[in-house]
Amino acid sequence: MSSTSPQRRTSLPRNARAAVDRARLSVVPRLRTRAPRVPFVTLVSLILLAGVVGLLLFNTSMQQASFTASQLEDQATSLSARQEALAMELDQLRDPQRLAAQACALGMVVGPTAAFLDIETGALTGTPTPAVAGPCGFEPVVRPVRPVAEDVPVLPGQRSGAARGRTQGSGR
Amino acid sequence: MRLRIGFIAIAIVVSVFAGRLVQLQGIDPKQYAQMAAAEGSQSVVLPAERGEILDRTGEPLAASADGLMIVADPSLTTDDAPDLADLLSKRLDLDYFAVLERLRARDSQFQYIARQVPAAEASKVVAEAREAGFVGLTTQDDPVRFYPSRDVAANVVGFLGTPRNDGSARPLAGLEDSFDDYLAGTDGEARYQVGAGARIPLGDNTVVEARDGNDLTTTIDRDLQWYAQRVLSQTVRGARGDSGYAVVMDTQTGEVLTQADYPTYDASDPTDYPESTYTSRALSDVYEPGSVEKVLTVAGLIDAGKVTNKTRFEVPPVLNRQDRPIHDYFQHGTIRLTLAGIIAKSSNIGTVMAADEFEPGQMHDYLTAFGLGRKTDVGLAGETKGILPSADLMTSQTADRIAFGQSLSVNALQMAAAVNTIANGGVRIDPSLIRGTATLDDGTEVGSGVATERRVVSEDAARQTMEMMERVIDPEVGVAPGAAVPGYRVAGKTGTAQRVGAECGCYDGTFTVSFAGFAPADDPRFTIYVVVQNPRNGGGGGSVAGPAFSKLMGYALRRYGVEPTGTNPSRLPAEW
Repeated sequence: MSSTSPQRRTSLPRNARAAVDRARLSVVPRLRTRAPRVPFVTLVSLILLAGVVGLLLFNTSMQQASFTASQLEDQATSLSARQEALAMELDQLRDPQRLAAQACALGMVVGPTAAFLDIETGALTGTPTPAVAGPCGFEPVVRPVRPVAEDVPVLPGQRSGAARGRTQGSGR
Repeated sequence: MRLRIGFIAIAIVVSVFAGRLVQLQGIDPKQYAQMAAAEGSQSVVLPAERGEILDRTGEPLAASADGLMIVADPSLTTDDAPDLADLLSKRLDLDYFAVLERLRARDSQFQYIARQVPAAEASKVVAEAREAGFVGLTTQDDPVRFYPSRDVAANVVGFLGTPRNDGSARPLAGLEDSFDDYLAGTDGEARYQVGAGARIPLGDNTVVEARDGNDLTTTIDRDLQWYAQRVLSQTVRGARGDSGYAVVMDTQTGEVLTQADYPTYDASDPTDYPESTYTSRALSDVYEPGSVEKVLTVAGLIDAGKVTNKTRFEVPPVLNRQDRPIHDYFQHGTIRLTLAGIIAKSSNIGTVMAADEFEPGQMHDYLTAFGLGRKTDVGLAGETKGILPSADLMTSQTADRIAFGQSLSVNALQMAAAVNTIANGGVRIDPSLIRGTATLDDGTEVGSGVATERRVVSEDAARQTMEMMERVIDPEVGVAPGAAVPGYRVAGKTGTAQRVGAECGCYDGTFTVSFAGFAPADDPRFTIYVVVQNPRNGGGGGSVAGPAFSKLMGYALRRYGVEPTGTNPSRLPAEW
């Protein structure tokens, strides 16, 4: 359009020219509404700041949680060790030999033959025999045959040998 | 021109980078990856827990717990050694001087103070020492294996020795040894990055979980085993014998409820006992069974249709055979005994006369079918298969002696399983020590789940044999009234065998006395076999092993609530 108008302009009569001049469209300079920059920058900065602070806080809390986790894990380990130790003690208390000794101390004996009573028919099978009070204790079946450290007079030079026997056995 | 030089320079630099890249990624990428991973990362072994060994009711015979070893660095502990040794020896029940010596060891930075201390105790002691201002003590993983019932079933269960230096278990005997792989499990590993003593939250974190070992459930009944060991120990000591075994089998399933050995040891403190007590003699000792074996001979004879339990024999005072005369243990003239009488009175001469009815090789076949001369393979190492001369080598002299239980050797479990065949109506069932199945280290599956059954003699032959064995307990005709259990029908057989001495390899005048039997005779629940080696009180199978059998059987029947059958015992005639 701009390339054709000068040609046209030249062919127009003079009086028309003014009218054309008046009517001619021209590019209106765009009306720039200048948005205020400050709020935007503030917003972005705030988001950025919040992000960084949030990340920092998150990281810190993670770290904190990690410390707590380590601590709780340690606690769990020590509690489970304690539980195991107690279970072990319980198992040792339930040792049949120990139970027998305690029962014996209460005056209990291993029962003799039992009889069976059928509740419906009243029939009795077996020969009931009363328990006889008396020595109930069983001698321990095992006795260490190797001398324990306390029994041996400690001679110079022998000490470590006897002592090693005990420590290697275990610390229990 | 300038541009060209610039390009060449850039190309050279890029080539160097590319070369380095190839070096890093192409030639040995793993090493660098590892180096990068190792930087700031920590790897922890997650120890697999060793499986427990349980009795048939789930009571632990061997159990594991977290444990620690306490280690000292003498370069740090030397200065405070006496005070620290005092604390440690008191808290951990150790020898003061030994600890002192270790704390002061020269040119060393690593000394064991105590091993396999339960974790709770060890960390408490180390923390206490640290609070008191001592330095140089650390702890490391060192799992504890403990045996809460101590000597009960120790010969079956075995034990673990002090762990190897790499921390792996060192099984030294019993099931612990033969099922080591099955019990052990596989260690896992956790790898994570650490900073300031705590895990970095989003750091690399890989965990390979540990695979715990399998629990091993045995067929042992802990309480019955405990009682059997006490009775056995009393019996062997009372008879002033060398050793003894007692086996209790569940008749119908072949499960071994008790396998007691004497002398035995305390599995929680094995170093205090001689190594000879570690094995299960019920499996490793080989001995001649004596007259108990007669029941196998006569069961075979009846099954082969050669005799019945009422067949009559005229038994002379002495039976002259090819190489030497055969005597009975008691003096008699010519007596007229039925087969039942021969068993009740345990006559060697009568048994040999009856065994003459066998076709050649037939007795050998029966004894093999009863399981003699073959390992029971219950899952313990060190078992003997016994000695059963092959049919070709069995001369008529040997066959005579085998008929009454000499010149062949067995182990106690083998013999118990053979007698159990009679109790189980003629069907032999493999004995088993493991409930269900478990895999031995050599890959074999063993246990009650894979036990097989096989008919050896007819039901009728087994019943007839049972009736004869009942006469053994009879106070009038039998030789072992002491084996009776009041209220119950009991079938059994005594054995008093000449023993082959270790030194001369000949019969040295010592004896093996035994009693095998089952109850209730007409509906058996348990088969029990008690053996005492070399009693010095002059007792025989009936007087030494019989009463022990009676106590054990009575206890077992009561414990399992077995009712008496209420029927009358057999009245088979012993004489005619």
